[in-house]
Amino acid sequence: MIAKEFDYQRPATLEEATAILVAHPGETTRILAGGTDLVAWLRDDAVAPDLVVDIKDIPDLRDIRMEGDTLHLGSLTTFTDLIESDIVEEHAPLLIEMASTVASAGIRNRATMVGNICSAVPSCDAGPVLLALDTTVHLAGPGGARSVHIDDWFVGLRQTALTDDEVVTHVTIKLQEHGGAYVKLMRYAGEDLAQAAVGIVVYPDHDYRVAFGAVAPTPIRSARIEEALAGKPLDESLIAEVVGMVPDEISPITDMRATAEYRTHMCQVMLKRGLEAAVQRLAGIGPAYETRLI
Amino acid sequence: MTTTYPFDAESKDDELKSVGTPAVRIDGLEKISGAAEFVDDIDFGPGLLHAAIVESPHAFARILSIDTTAAEQAKGVVKVVTGKDFPYKFGMYMEDRYIFAQDHVRFAGEQVAGVIARSHREAVQAAALIEVDYEVLEPLLDPKEAFAEEADLIHPDLGDYTHVPWFFPKADTNIAHWRKIRKGDTEKAFAEADFVLEDTYRVPRYAHCAIEPHVTVSKLDHADRLTVWTASQSPHTQRHLFAEALAPLGFTHKDVRVITPYIGGGFGGKAGVSMEIMGAAMATLVKGRPVKVRWTREQEFYNTYQRQGVIAELKVGVMNDGTITAVQHRLYWDAGAYVEYGANVVNAAGLSATGPYRVPNITNDSLCMYTNLPPGGPYRGFGYSEFHFGLESHMDRIAEAIGMDAVEFRRKNAIVEGDELSYGAHMNPSGLIEAIDKTAAAIDWGVEETSDNPDTVIGKGMALFWKAPAMPPNASSASFLKFNEDGSINITVSGMELGQGYLTVMAQIASEVLTVPVDKIRVETPDTDRNPYEWQTVASHVTWSSGLAVQKAAIEAREKIFDVIHQVYGYEDDSLYLENETVRCKTDPEFVKPLREFVIDGIQTEEGTWRGGPIIASGKFMPEFTNANSDPETGQGGHPNVHYTVGATGVVLEIDKDTGRVWVRKAALAVDAGRAINPDLVKGQIVGGLVQGLATVLYEDMRFDEGGKMMNPNFTDYKIPTAFDIPDEIIPIIVEVPQPDGPFGARGVGEHTMIAAAPVIANAVYNALGTRIKSMPVTQEKIAMAFREQQT
Repeated sequence: MIAKEFDYQRPATLEEATAILVAHPGETTRILAGGTDLVAWLRDDAVAPDLVVDIKDIPDLRDIRMEGDTLHLGSLTTFTDLIESDIVEEHAPLLIEMASTVASAGIRNRATMVGNICSAVPSCDAGPVLLALDTTVHLAGPGGARSVHIDDWFVGLRQTALTDDEVVTHVTIKLQEHGGAYVKLMRYAGEDLAQAAVGIVVYPDHDYRVAFGAVAPTPIRSARIEEALAGKPLDESLIAEVVGMVPDEISPITDMRATAEYRTHMCQVMLKRGLEAAVQRLAGIGPAYETRLI
Repeated sequence: MTTTYPFDAESKDDELKSVGTPAVRIDGLEKISGAAEFVDDIDFGPGLLHAAIVESPHAFARILSIDTTAAEQAKGVVKVVTGKDFPYKFGMYMEDRYIFAQDHVRFAGEQVAGVIARSHREAVQAAALIEVDYEVLEPLLDPKEAFAEEADLIHPDLGDYTHVPWFFPKADTNIAHWRKIRKGDTEKAFAEADFVLEDTYRVPRYAHCAIEPHVTVSKLDHADRLTVWTASQSPHTQRHLFAEALAPLGFTHKDVRVITPYIGGGFGGKAGVSMEIMGAAMATLVKGRPVKVRWTREQEFYNTYQRQGVIAELKVGVMNDGTITAVQHRLYWDAGAYVEYGANVVNAAGLSATGPYRVPNITNDSLCMYTNLPPGGPYRGFGYSEFHFGLESHMDRIAEAIGMDAVEFRRKNAIVEGDELSYGAHMNPSGLIEAIDKTAAAIDWGVEETSDNPDTVIGKGMALFWKAPAMPPNASSASFLKFNEDGSINITVSGMELGQGYLTVMAQIASEVLTVPVDKIRVETPDTDRNPYEWQTVASHVTWSSGLAVQKAAIEAREKIFDVIHQVYGYEDDSLYLENETVRCKTDPEFVKPLREFVIDGIQTEEGTWRGGPIIASGKFMPEFTNANSDPETGQGGHPNVHYTVGATGVVLEIDKDTGRVWVRKAALAVDAGRAINPDLVKGQIVGGLVQGLATVLYEDMRFDEGGKMMNPNFTDYKIPTAFDIPDEIIPIIVEVPQPDGPFGARGVGEHTMIAAAPVIANAVYNALGTRIKSMPVTQEKIAMAFREQQT
């Protein structure tokens, strides 16, 4: 039960939404989309807003479409929408591999991918995958629209480039031929938060992207590992080389979910298996997407 | 009329019509259709009040003051209560608890005050306004630290507490009970043994995680009757403890009524009395209005019973031929802040800590240690699940050390009928050897399997289990049975349908005696005003004990039926028998008298008068061969346990060497049910218990912070298995060596099926990787990191 009382508004347009946000700046206003984080935090008294702005009535925020080589995903796109989308399946099955590991079916039906990167907890599943893909986040604010590349999105623990008076409208992902893998450490096969995660994209000509989740205050890309891999075909010695780099690239903590040592060890295992799968998928011979690699 | 003792243990399968058949459970349609009513479903109307509980944030503190002024003035508030309103002690086996904290709190989450309001939201909002000033004390969180001589006392008045005669608390210590077993000469046996293995095993606390959290609605009406609707396994025990605790307010047992509709799982967590006492007490202050107290999932974790943790120091001596000669088992139980129920878990474990083996020399010390963690209490397995982890791990290690096959080693030492138990009584008939052999065969024991996946290896494990019901020596069951005009039957009992199929099994037992089909018998959940006594639905004893009470009621009804026939037609009682709802006569094959023709209205005689009348019967059962009077220093002399149920568990698992992830590919479990009254329900217990046990060893991991506060009272971080996490294949095996004093030979199986799940995984992990994990849970992380360590 949510014991604390708050105001609730449900704007019908983006303009109305930003006007409300401008009029009620700061931490005491919260945007509600899927609500799977926000409502749980309200229940636990972890947040105490005076105003909740529900953006679900705003039109056109749930679009999934291709614009040329770019995938457009509206900010109200749920994880289930991703999983059920033929467009996503054809052009970016890595997103489905990621989405299918998020929580349970009931949560996936409500939780939005954009909400996931706005909450920006270290373990957010969308983080490592969007970092590995070429993603741009699009926002609307009182000054109009602007965009932020995903590399600049996560700025600190649960902090993003989003300002108090802005709403994310959509993300775009520039796509080209690729193989990908999202490997997630869970404590069992049921729904779980990532204890550690690796997102990998491999483009032709040995061009690699590697990102980690839940092993730093934010999801992180590893430029050093990408450089070490760049231009080289994947083989055992190259894998061993980059696996050896993992401990210096991440900064996991020990908490009740896992020790730092196990998280590091598993990032190494997941990087190895993820790279192998992504390279094979690029070649069209890998394990099908959504096959568990660990 | 005489009621002969039934004991139909030797009935042959082909003579039985209902017992032994997979009758469809009588509560099934109600439950799968969603029609079954639980406490929270009952509509109490707009007058229903709601309570919120103020909890201690500290694990150990002195209460300096409580300011309720603001809460009393808050919107919607009807009443605010604190410990001062109810300075009454209560407890199941030892009175060491108060309804609300008095001068001290002893675990984080303990109830300090309550707010009754018109809505739950208003109650919660007002509860936040109550200010409690504490002097925080250093909590004791480890049972061995609590045992230390210099340890602070959690209950300084322990020496004055009232308790059952078979507990031995040590005043001026934190030892609430010390169960000792001294048999033979353990020291001499260790000295003479060819091999001795000594090690320590650790088992943390666990939560039951029933799908339905605790909930209670209580109402004191204007006739001074206190009615309490609870999600409980123990309606009569609750009534008794409510009446005792609230006696200073003028209540006697007849004034207190407990109604228990269906419950959404118990597993021991809803036995005895925990949060329900708050509701019962608070209702006395708002006469005429029902009050609901409903636990959140968080409260369900930290303020009901938890399964106790244990540090088990185990030493076992064997001869080279594999004969076990001595066991020394020292169990330090983390029993929590209040042990009114949990101390009996400690007692039960101490009596049986040798496991299902023939051991001539025994030194057991089972120590019930107060700690500043939530109260320990009953959980499926009742101490046995806990100590079997170390014991059955140890047995594997000994077998390997002396070069003996682990199954052969167990077979050699397995306890059999007539062997002397640790307290001097003798083992009941049992099919342990058969269970071992069938389980081993089911997992192809001895046949090495290899994986096609280079990342994984295959391992196999075996473990045995035993358990006796842990009860007061005179724990009783009773039943009423009445016929209706159409020959159908209503039975009232006070055991609880926990999902195990109890109601169906009671119907099958009555059906067998009276030849009335199960679908013409209705068995209801308890209302203590209407249903006869049952101690509790715990200890895996109701099939046996309540089953005997129902069987005796059915036999009494049958005798009354024969008596009517005899009065009217003159046939001798012993020439009569029942068949397909009719009375037949061995000496007159032509005689057929349908039950429905006379079980209410009687039979008209030739003169036109009537004989008979409504057929009603009652039955009761109390074991008359048990006693708990043993020597406190040796444990010898009593007969505390009625009998043991035994069995074996085996698994085949696959492990990813890099990640430590475990897949249970095959699990087999054989349990000696004596007689499976309903084989489908026994199989349900095997599957359910095994999966619950696997959860405790593979996933569940309760954590407390340095201050003693539970860190993961939620399913985000306290993991219980989903459908994705259960074994690929479970092979249930029913062994039937009849229990001579059981209904048709039956004995309980409900708890036993989870007991060996933890060690069997530890043993299979060792078999696969050569890695021995000696603390639960055996998570993928522990396996991977231990294996990695071992490789370097």
